[in-house]
Amino acid sequence: MSIFCLGVNHKTAPVEIRERLAFAEHSIPEHLKEIRELVHVNEAVVLSTCNRVEIYGGAEAIADAVAELTEYMVSHFAVEPGEVEFYHHESEAAAHHLFEVASGLDSMVLGETEIFGQIKKAYALAQSNGATARRMNKLFQQSFSIGKLVRTSTRIQQGSTSVGSAAVDLAERIFGDLKECRVMVIGAGEMSRTTAQSLLSRGAHSIIVSNRNFDKAEELATELKGKAVRFDDWENCLDEVDIIVSSTSAPHAVVKKDTIERVMSKRRGHTLYLIDIAVPRDIEAGVNDIENVYLSNIDQLLQIAKDGQDRRHRQIEVCRGVIAEFLSEKGIEALAEIPERRKSKSGDDTLSDPPGNPVTHS
Amino acid sequence: MNEQNLIIATVIFLGGFILAVVALRSEKKPPAGLNIVIAIAGLVFQSLFLRERGELHGRCPITNGAEVLVFVSWSLVIMYLALGRAFRLSLLGVFTMPIVFLFHVIAIVYLSIADPGARPPDVLDPWLEMHAAMSLLAYGAFGLCGVAGAMYLVQDRQLKTHHTGSLFYSMPPIKYLIDAMIRLLSIGMLLLTIGIVAAFFMRELPTALHFAASGAVWVLYAVLLGIYFVKRPSPKRFSVLVIGAFCFALLTLGAL
Repeated sequence: MSIFCLGVNHKTAPVEIRERLAFAEHSIPEHLKEIRELVHVNEAVVLSTCNRVEIYGGAEAIADAVAELTEYMVSHFAVEPGEVEFYHHESEAAAHHLFEVASGLDSMVLGETEIFGQIKKAYALAQSNGATARRMNKLFQQSFSIGKLVRTSTRIQQGSTSVGSAAVDLAERIFGDLKECRVMVIGAGEMSRTTAQSLLSRGAHSIIVSNRNFDKAEELATELKGKAVRFDDWENCLDEVDIIVSSTSAPHAVVKKDTIERVMSKRRGHTLYLIDIAVPRDIEAGVNDIENVYLSNIDQLLQIAKDGQDRRHRQIEVCRGVIAEFLSEKGIEALAEIPERRKSKSGDDTLSDPPGNPVTHS
Repeated sequence: MNEQNLIIATVIFLGGFILAVVALRSEKKPPAGLNIVIAIAGLVFQSLFLRERGELHGRCPITNGAEVLVFVSWSLVIMYLALGRAFRLSLLGVFTMPIVFLFHVIAIVYLSIADPGARPPDVLDPWLEMHAAMSLLAYGAFGLCGVAGAMYLVQDRQLKTHHTGSLFYSMPPIKYLIDAMIRLLSIGMLLLTIGIVAAFFMRELPTALHFAASGAVWVLYAVLLGIYFVKRPSPKRFSVLVIGAFCFALLTLGAL
């Protein structure tokens, strides 16, 4: 018996296809049952995320299992033959593919960590539904070890990859924990919302929103569970905040250097970080010359994001080296010879293996 | 007198610094805690050297400039090991090890040229030992505070210019550096105060120059703390001040 992987991802299929193939979470147990009932598939784990739909499985005859599963996918998700091209990997290649996915090397945002949790969840679901046996258990447990090792021993997670994450990373380089940071958003556009959400997701304490159109400010403040202030009043709130995100459509500077200088004299050494994501810029560049004040504009954030992406791309080979080194010591456990007692498709756990190890959440 | 242990400690700290720099530039992360292991190894050999000197003199080994420098280095490493992690400043090793290395090299050169040899006391005075040990531990805290100040200046520069290399991502947030400076200053002040108070109980009072130098360092750091809590200067200015204060404190060692 060997292992295989069949699926599509963000590199091979557009979102229009991926969304049609996506497994609704509540329906996965039913799908797992159906997949297990296919003649050639012995074990299965369904990994369905925004960027990939993959089925990992164990089978005696891989080619037959892949053909059967492809047919299952086409018929269940009502895609036309030829409309979707599934990739499939077998044996070592399938294991390597999962290890790279778990390490974030196959992700749209290289090195992202969300996929690690998604794989754990997919495996736990399959395991709790009796769809896994020794090969899948070994394969997924090993993928967790590798995913963790890659992230702790390389710099694949280092650096920001988007404007929002660059701004948040810089804020963390200044304040450390953002839990005590209060944020002011000037301008209620999409960029403001995205950046404010990123800051909130990393723990920012509270949000104040100010906008020329007060209704829009209130709308965004409600969405972000913050407070709206009138545009005439935002300067009065400056000494209450640690981070200012400005993204208005004003054709001139909204935040002036002398305003910030005045505020800083009252802040008793408290640092201020300003994020200017507007074009034309909202914040006078001279603000960055004030001591204990840091200013990032959109170009600087874009550059940091680009550097971060480049850095992560350079890390791919380093990560592959770590995986290769790990496997040279331990081998692919799921492919090791396993004395098989008997095989059953009855649903009883009578496969040749002990119950899988519990999923470790760390 | 054999300086073998001091030389080994010096090589260890140099190696630790080189390793830290290489690790910062490397694509792979170094093993966690490597800098701590290296610092502990260096500390062991520093301690062996100081013990030998202590046995030679029959008292705390601070009888000449070289020994004082090694003792200050030892205090720096102790402070780094004791507080660096707690203050989330493990990267301090990159900045601390070259200072320790430099102090050791000066001490080795000094001892190889003009080792004054054994200077046993007429009578062993525990208050003198207490005064010396506390004061030099305070210097360790002040030294580490200066190192945190230097790190602040580096990180401030990187944030202002948006230069985000691997050093940038390895440095602690600047707010932690400010907090660390204040804590280390406070710890140093406490230790120095104990040291100075102990001096009043010594059998033989220190010389006027010694008192003046110790007092000047105490007043300087007290003023620095006062300025921070009353005026809240910008962290950048404060960092420059703590670096300058440590340089001044080092100069006063000549008078002690």
